[in-house]
Amino acid sequence: MAYWETIFFWIALITYSLAFGGCLYSFIFKNPRVMPKITILLTFGFFAHTAAIIARFSATGHLPWSGHYEYALMGGWFIIAGTLFVGWQNKALQELTVATAPLVIVMMGYGYMQNPGLTRKAASLKTIWLYIHVYFAWLSFGAYSLAMAAGVLYLLKRRNEDRSVSNPAYDRFPSLGRLQELIFRYIVFGFITDTMMISAGSIWAKDLWGSYWAWDPVETWSLISWLIYGITIHLRITFGWRDKRMAWLAIVALSSVIISFFGVNLVVNTSLHVFQVR
Amino acid sequence: MIKKLLKYLSSLRFTILLICLLGLMFIIGLWVPQARLLKSIYLEWQRNSPVLVAYLDAFGLTSIYTSPITVTLWVFFFLNLALVMWQRIPVIKNRITLSEAKIADPLTVKGYSFQHSYQLSPDMDGNMVIALLRKHRFAILGDGTCFYGVKNRFAPIAFILFHLSFFLILLGGLITVYTRFMGYVDLAQGEPFKGDFSQYNSTPPIQMPQFGSLPSNRFTITSIVPSVAGFTPTGISIKLVDSQGLPHEAGINTPYSAENASFVFNHLGVAPLVILKSPSGQEIAGSYVKLDVLKGKADTFTLGGFNFKTKFYPDYVLEKGKPATRSMEFNNQVFTIVAEQGGKKIAEGTVSKGGTIEFAGYRLEVRDILYWVRFYVVKQYGVSVMYLGYAIASIALIWRLIFYRKELVGAVRDVDGVRYLHIAARSEFYKDLAEDDFTKFLESLLGNGRTNT
Repeated sequence: MAYWETIFFWIALITYSLAFGGCLYSFIFKNPRVMPKITILLTFGFFAHTAAIIARFSATGHLPWSGHYEYALMGGWFIIAGTLFVGWQNKALQELTVATAPLVIVMMGYGYMQNPGLTRKAASLKTIWLYIHVYFAWLSFGAYSLAMAAGVLYLLKRRNEDRSVSNPAYDRFPSLGRLQELIFRYIVFGFITDTMMISAGSIWAKDLWGSYWAWDPVETWSLISWLIYGITIHLRITFGWRDKRMAWLAIVALSSVIISFFGVNLVVNTSLHVFQVR
Repeated sequence: MIKKLLKYLSSLRFTILLICLLGLMFIIGLWVPQARLLKSIYLEWQRNSPVLVAYLDAFGLTSIYTSPITVTLWVFFFLNLALVMWQRIPVIKNRITLSEAKIADPLTVKGYSFQHSYQLSPDMDGNMVIALLRKHRFAILGDGTCFYGVKNRFAPIAFILFHLSFFLILLGGLITVYTRFMGYVDLAQGEPFKGDFSQYNSTPPIQMPQFGSLPSNRFTITSIVPSVAGFTPTGISIKLVDSQGLPHEAGINTPYSAENASFVFNHLGVAPLVILKSPSGQEIAGSYVKLDVLKGKADTFTLGGFNFKTKFYPDYVLEKGKPATRSMEFNNQVFTIVAEQGGKKIAEGTVSKGGTIEFAGYRLEVRDILYWVRFYVVKQYGVSVMYLGYAIASIALIWRLIFYRKELVGAVRDVDGVRYLHIAARSEFYKDLAEDDFTKFLESLLGNGRTNT
């Protein structure tokens, strides 16, 4: 890791941890007033996160697109950017932090333990398709993560409403109806970008490996997660799945995406997507 | 009976079952070593567990992506898709048709989740409201007193387009499978490619197409320049001239493509020009030999009855008296060569460009060091059909899921000298969020010409 990257990385990670701690405090001590302050803290962490990416970029000369650490660094950035963006558009959605912050903390921690060393950009990654493919991959991951976070909020709020004494910390959440529609809206956005990611990856693979589809483990898992979200959309539109079922589906389906990004290369060392990153 | 079967085959329940089964097959394929994709692991596993592998082979689970079970599931999947599309056509046709029957009283209409009344300023009438809605791409039926409007009216067509794209991808995929030629060819700098069958490597075996022929491309490689930074390969420039004399350049991510054939860079090797001289100094043999010696690999070649074992150091340095390389950069290229005759070592030495090694009165000279590349050659048709499928799928998804239908019925009425716009609206997929959207939209649409009631 570059010197400044290390500093900003830790500032971001600590700030996200504090923001998550603040969310827990808000729920446990029934104090919804701290949420705007938590968003400010999250924004500060996001700037530090951005600075870490810039520091790494200036040290390596390329955007962090490959290897588990870089996946985590960039993926975490997209998820927090998404959280801040939707929170900026709708104050009630600032609460998504309660689910996205811990996800990003775990991702970044995991990435740091893998391969944070500085690497030059491999020849195979020098193509415009990398940017298109990875950009859409992160957009879809970010959107699916927001769907998961909205699912968590839905379940929390639903449980709170079923209680005889309700916690005012949940009052700031959007209504249950809006939350379940937001889950669907984020999944739809993720599904569209996921489709573009797979299409762009296939075109790139044709140039790089000579084959548009090679049943590579990462490819196969991407297809599986795409099918899972495709089913989710059909269940919502055609079978009218809503409420708790939809919320749980959004939470569970994210695991398939996490496996595509981080899991497959852990258990299979034959994937073409390893890209010889040490 | 047939009706029941058709109903089930065209149901979404069946689609979901098929997708789950296909997903299960793919997951099994990730855990069971696949004979075609992971041949060495598969063969080792077969040696260790012959009975288990024989059973899995029998069920096609070691070539799962082309196994009869998977192919059957795909057949049912596309059958289901075709039936669903066929059934939905009249429904879609009905939905996109503008009909006077859709005009309704917004105060009593059923099925519209958003209902609101706005007080209009006296200078604003029904026709002005309709004009404003038309400006926002609503198709309107009726007049100011009672009207029906729909935005993104044709969005349901995107459903058909999206599912049609699957057929295009399938069609493209099938064409590529049946017309695909695959082979590998090793070419050194200066070596011509004549397109002959014999010029291709025998392993991995050449895959001939069911329909089609060998690539007819002819070219000569004029230069190969790899670039490396430290231990990371950062690029390669392969220049070639085709049979018309036109220059081309290929590299990683940029295959040489012509006449439906692609020459994809796959591997790099070193091709030294080695000359064997007799004790009298006469050149008795010499050629460029293609050595696969990068990344510390050893390789051998035979010349003039001698066998030579070689290792290559692209950035040679002596470390504790032993040859090593500082990096993978081609800064100081040196070979270590062991000369053998009849299986016995007769000489050993390190040789750089222009250097020699002597043995039994003979001299082996490394006169030049060039490179060779292995191309993965693939010729197939149908890829553009697949890409068209991808494009249609992406466009259709955006169209269907972002530009979804929004419908409204409205009426402008005067009550006690006050003018009101009564609106009932709904959108596909959303109810609560749609209400927020409609509230914002109508407030911005009517601007100063309204007050909420």
